[in-house]
Amino acid sequence: MTWAWAIRDLLRHPVRSGIALLGVAIAAALLLDMVLLSSGIERSFEKLLLSRGYQVRVSPKGTLPFDTEATLGDAERVVAAIRAIPGVVQAGPLLGASLFARHDGALLPLVAYGVDPTAQGIYLVEDGHDLALGDTTHVLLGGPAAKRLGATLGDTLVLVGRLDPQVVAPARTLRVTVRGTVHFLYDAKDQPSIALTLPVVQSLGGRALADRASVILVRVADGADSGTVVNQLRRDFPALGSNTVGELVATFRERLAYFRQLSLILGAIALIVTVLLVSTLLAITVNERLGEIATMRAIGVSRGTIARQVVVQGVMLVVPGGVVGMFLGLATARWLDAILTSFPGLPAAISFFVAEPRQLAIAALTLLVTGLLAGVPPAWRAANAPIAATLRSDAP
Amino acid sequence: MTIVLAARDLEKRYHLHDQEVAALRGVTLTIESGEYVVIVGPSGSGKSTLLTLLGGLDTPTSGEVQILGTALGLLDDRRLTRLRLERIGFIFQRFHLLPVLSARENVELPLAERGVGAAARRARADELLSYVGLAARANHRATQLSGGEMQRVAIARALANGPAIILADEPTGELDAATGQEILALFRRLHADGTTLVVVTHDDHLAAEAGRVVRMLDGRIVA
Repeated sequence: MTWAWAIRDLLRHPVRSGIALLGVAIAAALLLDMVLLSSGIERSFEKLLLSRGYQVRVSPKGTLPFDTEATLGDAERVVAAIRAIPGVVQAGPLLGASLFARHDGALLPLVAYGVDPTAQGIYLVEDGHDLALGDTTHVLLGGPAAKRLGATLGDTLVLVGRLDPQVVAPARTLRVTVRGTVHFLYDAKDQPSIALTLPVVQSLGGRALADRASVILVRVADGADSGTVVNQLRRDFPALGSNTVGELVATFRERLAYFRQLSLILGAIALIVTVLLVSTLLAITVNERLGEIATMRAIGVSRGTIARQVVVQGVMLVVPGGVVGMFLGLATARWLDAILTSFPGLPAAISFFVAEPRQLAIAALTLLVTGLLAGVPPAWRAANAPIAATLRSDAP
Repeated sequence: MTIVLAARDLEKRYHLHDQEVAALRGVTLTIESGEYVVIVGPSGSGKSTLLTLLGGLDTPTSGEVQILGTALGLLDDRRLTRLRLERIGFIFQRFHLLPVLSARENVELPLAERGVGAAARRARADELLSYVGLAARANHRATQLSGGEMQRVAIARALANGPAIILADEPTGELDAATGQEILALFRRLHADGTTLVVVTHDDHLAAEAGRVVRMLDGRIVA
C-alpha cells in the first residue's frame, strides 16, 4: 500500500515531480560520467598495454615509453641480455622516428616504427603479410598513412630519412614495397604511421639512431613474476628505466590526478544536487501534507510507516531518475569520449569513460543511498510532527 | 457497565506570547461502554483540547487519562500509537481523508497498519462502506466524494479496527444541514449498535440526541 500511495502522491503534482525526476536524471548522468572518468582511462590504458601480452617495458630512464624522443643505446646487446634473463619469454626492441615519403612531388611526414617482427606488440596485421626478420625492402602501412599516400598492397614507396638542417649530407632514401596494412594499437587518431624492420629505421635515421631503440617490450613467462623480472632488469641495467605495466599505470595515474580530482568534485556536486532536489521536493510535499500526516498519526499510523512513506517517495524519484540518468550518462560518456580521444598525442584506443558493471553498480548504489539519505530529514520531520498542534492549525 | 474512558483532574496549560493560558482546569470525566456523550460549550471553552487529551493526541500538563484501564501517560509513543490504532476511532471536522486513496483504501489504512492481510482488509472495508451506505462509491477517490460522503468514509475508517470508543470533533461542522442530518442518523445507528461515542459539537441537534451532555466553560465542566 505504501508504494501505491507514494506513487499517487507524487503524481498529484506531475509537473513538479517530473522536473525533480529530470533533475535527478541529469545529476545521475553527471555522477555516472564522473565515476567512469575517475578510473576509466587507467583501466583502458592498462588493458591497452597488456593487449599484446608484454608485461614489462624498458625505456630510457625517467621517461615513459614514447613519452619523449629519448632513445636507449646499445639496443642489440641489451635485448640479447634481456632475453637471457630467467622468466623472460620474449623481448622486442622498438624505435620510433620521423620519416618522410615522396608523394606527388612533396614530402609527406610519417611516424615510422622500427620493429623486430618476431617480437612486436604495437600493431595487428589487417591485410597482406607481416614483415620478415631482416626484411629491408618492405613496409607496413597504418590506415591513415595508406590513405594519405593513396597506397595499397604491392605499391612502391620512396622513404626519405630524417632531415637535419645541420647535416650537410642529403637524407638517405629507400624504396620499399607495401607488404601489408596494419592497425597500430597506440596511435593517436589519424596518425600516419608505418612499420619497418628495426635496422631499416635505424639506417634511415642516420648515425643518431644507430643501434638505438625507444623502448623494449618484454614478455614474461606464464607463472613468472613480472616484478621479479623488473628487479633483475634494474640490477642489470641501472641506467635504464624498467617498469611493469602496473607501475606505468601508476605513473600515468599520478599524471592524471587532476582528472580524478575534477571527477571527484563534479561527482560530489552531482550528489549534492540530487540531495537538494530530492530533499527539497520531499520537504515541500511533507509541508503540504502535514495535516494528512497528523491525521494518519492520530488514527494510529506509526512514525515508522510515515517515515517509510516519505523515504519511499524519495526512492520513487531517485530510481526512475537514476535509470534515465544511466542511459543519459552512457550516451554523454560516448560523446565526451569521442571529443577527448581526438586530442593529439593520445592513443585513439584509449577510452576516458569505461563502462564496467562494477562502475555502474557503484554509481547506482551511490545514487540510491543518496536518495535514501535525502529522504531522511523530511521523513524525520513528518514522523515527528506534533499531532494535536498540527490538527489544530489545520482546523478552519 | 465497563468504564471505557476515565479522565481525572486533567489540566492543560499553553504558553501563548509569554502568557500562560489554561485550556483545561481540572476536568474529571468517566465514560462507560455504549454511552453517547456530547461535549458542548462556547469556542475556547476547552472541549477540543479535552478531546485531544482523551484520544492521546496530546499530553496533559497534569492529570491522567485511562482507556480501558490503561493510563495513557505511562505509554511510550509506539504503544500509545498502537492503542489509538486498536482502541480509538477518530472523526474530524474536516474528514482528513487521504485524497490520493480511494474510499476503500482510506478505510483499509488502519487495517493495513495493524497488519491485516489484503483480502481481509478489502472485505472489512467493503463491509464498513456498506454500513455507512457507500458501497457503490468504494473505488472513488476521496476528492470525488461530497462532504457528507467523505465524512461517512471517515466514520467507516474510524470503525475499521473495532475501537472501544469513537471520538468525534465537530463531525457536522463542515456539512450543510441536510447532510448533517444524515451523519446524525449514522451516529444514532452506531449508538444503537453499541458503539461508545464522544462527540464535541456546537450542533444543538447532536446534543439533543446524546445520552449525556457535558457542558464546558473556561476549561471546566460546568454541567
